Amino acid sequence: MSDTPATTSSTADLHSDSTETLIEVGQRPIREVHADIQAAAQAGHAIVVRDTLSRHNLGVGLPPNCRIRFEGSVGYYCGGLNTGATIQIDRNAGWGLGESMSTGHITVNGYAGMSAGATMSAGTIHIKGDAGPRCGVGMKGGHIIVEGKLGYQSGFMSHGGKIIALGGAGESCADALWEGEVWVAGDIGNLGVDAVITEPTAEQVAEVDAILAPLGLVDSARNWRRIVAGQRLWYFESRDANAWLMI
Amino acid sequence: MCGIAGRILSSSGNVGHDLVELMDAQVHRGADSTGFAVYGPALETGYIVRAMGFDRRQLSADLEDFLAQSREFGADFLSEPSWDESASKHYTVRMTISDPSDLARWTQQVDTLSDRLEVQSLGRSLEIIKDVGGAREVSEKHGVHHMKGSHGLGHARLATESDVRPNASHPFWARPFPDVAIVHNGQITDYYTWRDKLERQGYRFLTYNDSELIAVWVSDQMQQGLTMEQALKKSIRAIDGVFTYMIAQPDSIGFAKDKFAMKPLVVTDINHEISAATEEQAVRRICHDEVDIINYDGPALTGIWSIPGFEQRLAA
Repeated sequence: MSDTPATTSSTADLHSDSTETLIEVGQRPIREVHADIQAAAQAGHAIVVRDTLSRHNLGVGLPPNCRIRFEGSVGYYCGGLNTGATIQIDRNAGWGLGESMSTGHITVNGYAGMSAGATMSAGTIHIKGDAGPRCGVGMKGGHIIVEGKLGYQSGFMSHGGKIIALGGAGESCADALWEGEVWVAGDIGNLGVDAVITEPTAEQVAEVDAILAPLGLVDSARNWRRIVAGQRLWYFESRDANAWLMI
Repeated sequence: MCGIAGRILSSSGNVGHDLVELMDAQVHRGADSTGFAVYGPALETGYIVRAMGFDRRQLSADLEDFLAQSREFGADFLSEPSWDESASKHYTVRMTISDPSDLARWTQQVDTLSDRLEVQSLGRSLEIIKDVGGAREVSEKHGVHHMKGSHGLGHARLATESDVRPNASHPFWARPFPDVAIVHNGQITDYYTWRDKLERQGYRFLTYNDSELIAVWVSDQMQQGLTMEQALKKSIRAIDGVFTYMIAQPDSIGFAKDKFAMKPLVVTDINHEISAATEEQAVRRICHDEVDIINYDGPALTGIWSIPGFEQRLAA
């Protein structure tokens, strides 16, 4: 619990090439915290946020070139509407991580709650633990990499981009997918409506490896399943009514 | 959108305070009304009755009629009733009564007064307090933060399906089952189907709130012989809608989540002391440090936490 405002320190340990601003959250009004973060980002400082207490809306709408690290767990919508910031979360993230981000890079060391990367259009979300239900729901583009297990109904109605899960996936995987792709290494609970497993070509695997390479996650021994839309839901046909009712 | 919370202590303590904190942290999820179910020290005989009257000017007459009807079942006041001294038109009253000869019939009888005085909970230890307003407001009005006990539930309501009235908020008592309370986040879509079935079995509902139905549904299943675990699992298949609900009894709190994984539940378990809430930031009010969080995010989940020391208390 702290009322300490932002402090600027010259002994940067995260980014030794620049000044670092330390911001305490505690029970302070989130608008104040947000104003501190925006001011530090405008000044070009690297930012460390402490005592986050899983609070909501931390680091929403961050500008390009902002570098920010949250030392604890964060609540809902962290990194939402990101326009190019590099965000690191040391523990877990709540609902709607990076929702609607248009570019940037988010790393979560732990678990990411429901709907991570919902409707994102570009950029990268890297989740080192498991991801909750409906990861990448309605995403339009960009990449979500989950080192652990992908939650229930992930990729739901995804329009574009790639979700790449290295530790398997839960039930209803890639449900009602549109033009997005869900790549899974490991076991899949079961497939969602109109989700189809395809054998990836060498070129397609190379594309995924190129996404994983900067993260140090390439492993040529993986047995990939590439899941795409069966396209039965793209146009309504009365014979498919049962499939529609399952959504 | 509603917010729910549950709290279990390793021994009787400031459970009222903790529930108020859990609900204050979630006040943005539903600020129209807040309620608490607290399991305090259990009476060996007799019941604690929490009730709400809708016209403070009629308070004396309401209580006289309530007592007269209770006496038909051999039940009398064990202590002087106490009520809130606020300026609101409605009032809340706490009574203790000796055991009625037939609890189900007593409930039906006193419920004939429900347009004036509505019984909101009955139990050896359960007390339900609810009112319009946020957690702090309700707590200050009714002294919830001073209440001692072993466990309890909290609820912040954003009314979507029925009126904003002080008696329509959660938790709900599983009328007429003593010491059973529920909080619920979600909507039941086959509400009228189930209500109709349960009413034909003789159950009565005092609101059109779908959560009141779940409390009675689960209790009815258990009366028909299911364990709580079996009843919770069955509810996921039997009840249509999106829900995360928690149901409390003297010996345990159970939860169930719908098959679509729509509503979250976040839990910490520190040496069998449980904090459960819709949002993680609420349980961090109780566990300020970084703790291991259990996210019950998946579909069709159930669980039961037992109350530490409950067996010993029964034996004592």
